[in-house]
Amino acid sequence: MAGAASLRQIAFYGKGGIGKSTTSQNTLAAMSHYFDKNIMIVGCDPKADSTRLILHEKAQDTILSLAAEMGTIEDVEMEQARLWGKGLFDKETPGGWINCTESGGPEPGVGCAGRGVITAINFLEEEGAYDEEGLDFVSYDVLGDVVCGGFAMPIREGKAQEIYIVMSGEMMAMYAANNISKGILKYANTGGVRLAGLVCNARMTDKEYDLALELAQRLGTQLIHFVPRNNIVQHAELRRMTVVEYSPYSDQAREYKELARKIVYNDMKIIPTPITMDELEELLLAFGLEDEVDESQVGKAAEA
Amino acid sequence: MFVLGFHFPASMGNQVPDELVAEKIADVDISDVKEIKLLMGTKERDKEWLSYTNKDTFLFRAMVHYFKEENPEKLQKYMIYMNRYQMSAISKRVDAADDETMKLCHHLDNMEQFRIEVA
Repeated sequence: MAGAASLRQIAFYGKGGIGKSTTSQNTLAAMSHYFDKNIMIVGCDPKADSTRLILHEKAQDTILSLAAEMGTIEDVEMEQARLWGKGLFDKETPGGWINCTESGGPEPGVGCAGRGVITAINFLEEEGAYDEEGLDFVSYDVLGDVVCGGFAMPIREGKAQEIYIVMSGEMMAMYAANNISKGILKYANTGGVRLAGLVCNARMTDKEYDLALELAQRLGTQLIHFVPRNNIVQHAELRRMTVVEYSPYSDQAREYKELARKIVYNDMKIIPTPITMDELEELLLAFGLEDEVDESQVGKAAEA
Repeated sequence: MFVLGFHFPASMGNQVPDELVAEKIADVDISDVKEIKLLMGTKERDKEWLSYTNKDTFLFRAMVHYFKEENPEKLQKYMIYMNRYQMSAISKRVDAADDETMKLCHHLDNMEQFRIEVA
């Protein structure tokens, strides 16, 4: 495997739209700014929005788009594909630095979105991106619930060693978290990947903390942090910035700082114990998020 | 595993016994604190001050520890959501006999933001 022995390769997985990219960038920004960690982000989402807050840009050129433009991946230069963070995260700024890459993907409806992930990681390894002096963390920001083998690539190939699942107290987010755990379990023995914790990117629904905690315990892991909803995150995003940079003394920056500290010092990396769909539904019932349905009423309209 | 911000080794599993958490805050000096004041809410019209004075509880000690940590000037401090949910969860188990504490735990479990001061 490329990179120094001390290099930690982490990944943020979660259902689409759960706030993975926002959570990961704010957390990585806090790891860099408050704990002096040097980080490379590998965005693995075809939206290519995993680095925009670090770069203060709309979206950087993806490795796949550069390859298409140049003709082949062999013609792509590292300087084109990998950009240094702006502001606090620049290499010349005191404290840690962050550099950014995006895998990209095909046009919607055409080809395999996971192919970009595979191509990007191979390119970065061959170009020595993992051997950058002082690099402490590589962070993959990965879409979906691992149904697609392409998106499981960072796990499958043993690239990402510790997985943080971004979820919330909503049914589909929990379903995805459980599915991702199944993916980790599948490759845990061959690739050494481990589940390192759930991050609840809260929707502020009733009993959300209790529900997230219970799911974490059932999966055999920890709820590493509960990130409350705060409008300052959106205010910062409008300026294409992380909260850490936009308002470093704000309450929300303190939340991300605490999550960053926990990830830096986290040693809980486990093989997960996914639950069945029935158990997941029972969990939602137990916490009152679903009303128990009388079997005789299934399939009947409300106005019958 | 992290509880109230304290790190417990992974070998201890994902459910740390309450006694071990209590041990971490056993040495906190609460002698100079008579009252904990909590500001609940963020919207001006809905903000509410809560007072808590029962010094014989885990919750009181945990809150004083939280307030004093990295706060030499004793300024009002934002409460990290996860920490206060964890304080409440443990308190509901170990301080269950105290009605005042249980009432405060009920407040701590909601979605409002909290700030803490001591007097």
